[in-house]
Amino acid sequence: MIAPSAPADAPVPILEVRGLSRKFGGVWALRDVSFAVAAGEVLGVIGPNGAGKTTLINLITGHLRPSGGHVLVGGIDVTKQRPWVIAHDGVARTFQIVKPFRGVTVRENVAIGAMHGNHRDRSVREALETADQILELVGITHRAGSAPSELSVADARRLELAKALACRPRLLLIDEVMAGLRPQEIESAVGLIHQLRESGITIVAVEHVMKAIISISDRIVVLHHGSILTSGTPDQVLSDPRVIEAYLGHRFARRRAT
Amino acid sequence: MSQLLQAAAYGVVQGGLLGLVAVGFSLVWGVMNVINLSHGALAVTGAYLAWLLNLHFGLDPFLALPVVAIALFLFGYALQRGLINLVINAPIFLTLLLTFGLGLVILNSLQLLFNADDRTIETSYASQSLALGTVNVPYGRLAACGLALAITVGLAAVMTRTRLGHSISATGMDRGAARLMGIRARHVYAITFGISAALAGVAGTMIATVGSFNPTTTPGQLTLDAFVISVLGGLGNMYGALVGGLVLGIAESVGGLVLTGTWVNAIAMAVLILTLIVRPSGLIGKAQYSGRVEV
Amino acid sequence: MSASPLALILEGRKRPGRELLAEWVRTRRLSNSWAAIALVVGFAAMLGVQQVIEPGTMRLLSAVFMFVALAQAWNLIGGFTGYASFGQVAFFGLGAYITAVLMNNSHLTFWLAMPAAIAGGVLFAVLIGLPLLRLRGHYFAIATLGAAEGSREVINNMTPVTGGGLGITIPTFGDQAPTPYFGKPGFYLAFLILAALSVAVSALLARSRFGYAMVAVHEDEAAAGAVGINTTSVKVIAFAVSGAIVACAGSIYAFQQIEFYPSDVFDPSFTVLMVIMVVIGGSGSILGPLVGAVGLELLSQFLRINLGSYNQLIFGAIIVVVVVFFPQGVVNFFRDAWRLRRISLLDNIRRYRL
Repeated sequence: MIAPSAPADAPVPILEVRGLSRKFGGVWALRDVSFAVAAGEVLGVIGPNGAGKTTLINLITGHLRPSGGHVLVGGIDVTKQRPWVIAHDGVARTFQIVKPFRGVTVRENVAIGAMHGNHRDRSVREALETADQILELVGITHRAGSAPSELSVADARRLELAKALACRPRLLLIDEVMAGLRPQEIESAVGLIHQLRESGITIVAVEHVMKAIISISDRIVVLHHGSILTSGTPDQVLSDPRVIEAYLGHRFARRRAT
Repeated sequence: MSQLLQAAAYGVVQGGLLGLVAVGFSLVWGVMNVINLSHGALAVTGAYLAWLLNLHFGLDPFLALPVVAIALFLFGYALQRGLINLVINAPIFLTLLLTFGLGLVILNSLQLLFNADDRTIETSYASQSLALGTVNVPYGRLAACGLALAITVGLAAVMTRTRLGHSISATGMDRGAARLMGIRARHVYAITFGISAALAGVAGTMIATVGSFNPTTTPGQLTLDAFVISVLGGLGNMYGALVGGLVLGIAESVGGLVLTGTWVNAIAMAVLILTLIVRPSGLIGKAQYSGRVEV
Repeated sequence: MSASPLALILEGRKRPGRELLAEWVRTRRLSNSWAAIALVVGFAAMLGVQQVIEPGTMRLLSAVFMFVALAQAWNLIGGFTGYASFGQVAFFGLGAYITAVLMNNSHLTFWLAMPAAIAGGVLFAVLIGLPLLRLRGHYFAIATLGAAEGSREVINNMTPVTGGGLGITIPTFGDQAPTPYFGKPGFYLAFLILAALSVAVSALLARSRFGYAMVAVHEDEAAAGAVGINTTSVKVIAFAVSGAIVACAGSIYAFQQIEFYPSDVFDPSFTVLMVIMVVIGGSGSILGPLVGAVGLELLSQFLRINLGSYNQLIFGAIIVVVVVFFPQGVVNFFRDAWRLRRISLLDNIRRYRL
């Protein structure tokens, strides 16, 4: 057990990572990363390919064991806990490469999240009812009876989100749910995230789509080669010359300038 | 002490033979991700072929080897091309079942043709042996073991030095990429299986020369040995298979001396399972394939 | 926190168990109870059949019932959970030997020995399941095969207790018998009950939260863990339930056989039969293994009686044909054919060929 770093009277952050590191072979995928997320906040995580964004999520959710450092959820140390324990602590996630349960329908996929991810739905029937509500929320009710393999890219991402929401999380980690979507699909996804946030869910969003991440995030953390390059409000981060030059490319920098 | 040395010497030559059985098995497993449960049946097919050649033409088993190898290669090529390729992308228990069924067909055909009696290939030099102090090593076994070594080294050279070998390794690593490079995967797979069958046939012939075989118990035992050795040695690793064979051979003969009954078999299984849990890449293999779940 | 409809959905509501039970009773209809009705009718029909058949036929059907149970058991771990065990016969042999040793050496009745065999099966499943269920695919298959071969060797060498390679005999006559021999009608009933129970247990599990958890583990363990499924315990429990059913089958089989050897009850072909029955019928369903077990066991009995020494050859050929042409199982094959109004064996081959 580790002592909280903040003063005793400060609210406990819902998620805190301290010195989180992970080595693959001889390479540090993530090295000494620390940050905290307050309840109700939306934190964006950006960085070029290979910066360690997905590794970060995998370490938080227990899908990878950290080589060093700690993960605290609601002030409680969950480092090296198994994924299901962390899920039951109210942490849900999506996968960048969607991982639907292919053998069952879209509706059942979401119901599996509902029946195992929280302590409310104790029967299959209740879970299926919850699934119907959540499918409506993310807008794929019309695909409820389909096999996951029949879904479009956008709908598969929505399913991924629906599965996570069915766990009724207090903290939601989303891994590039908008990559490869069309503009109006991104718009509706952004709307949905705003809605989730208003209902009180804390969100950590890893995203490549810049426009989207700026419009949803309160704060942004920039990862590079496994370390935090900088962090701050979207405007602060975007005006940081290092970020503009190195990670967003010259074109984006020019567009911001005009 | 001399008893122990004798057992160790026996284990080494026996291990060489078992290694030869396992080399082909391991090759197919490593390249195609197919566990060939009919491998032992193929070995016994080779043994019967050499036995027939010896019986009817008086051909020495060592001279019969090229015939056996070519026949089994063609048989193996046809099996892979015509049958196993049909389910190569199926879940593992389907390929396991297919090769099991294939093994049943082969060994029951053999049993119907030649009945279930124990057979052995008689040679004039079967009873002569090389005396090294107190240790006696029969010439037949010595030659068989030497041949096993030579073939393994030769095969490793083929795999690392030749165009064919590179095609096989490349297909084993990434079939999609290999096909993009113009490698005909179907043909390469069939050749791989053919080589494996030929090696099984040669190993079967050697086993028939230095010991006895039958169509009921020998195939299963050989397949199981190949299994254990491949796991110990690491998949698709030629030298690993040979080392694994030697380890198993020595362990079984020395263990048989020290332990009562067939405890040594139980210990072999325990070692197999422990290896899988602790080091799924094999005792001397590189950790290139993870058989474990990372959660 | 706002009380938006979204927040209410995400909050959920906790309902008392009584309310849920009442709802379950209220919603019972013919359309959602047909499986249970079919099972009861099937069970009653087989009881009726017993009245009109010869003892020899009873023996044959007993074997069919046993394989129904074995196939359902394998389907739990291999079909639903997706861990293709090639060592389930270990539980069969273990169940048989626990029963025989307790009845022969300790003179316990069958009614104590059988629960002990089941407990032994569960214990063994947990002991080997915890390390082995971390392995994937071929590695799990080999490791379980190794475990089965290894346990046979252990039994084989524990001669003072098990009789070793000389076999073991359960006393069944006179004062020596801890439990009077059941006879053919008795074993018919015993195996029928076992088959019905294994179908019922599988069906209940399949429709429960646990059933969905098994499917989730089968499809993707990382995703299953992410939605709160304890993948380790799901795998171990599925393995243990499977092991318990197989051990129970082994226990009854041992009593039926009276005398047997390690090589009889640890015969790897039991495992292969379980697998092939599930594959032929269709894995991951309840009907598939049932159809596969009944069909294949009747077929193999027919081959044994009518084709003599050719039966194994033909059996092997059937396995090959089934794997190539019906890789998804006959039940699924006919279901798809009915749905698409088209029978195409070539589609099956196209699916997995190179």
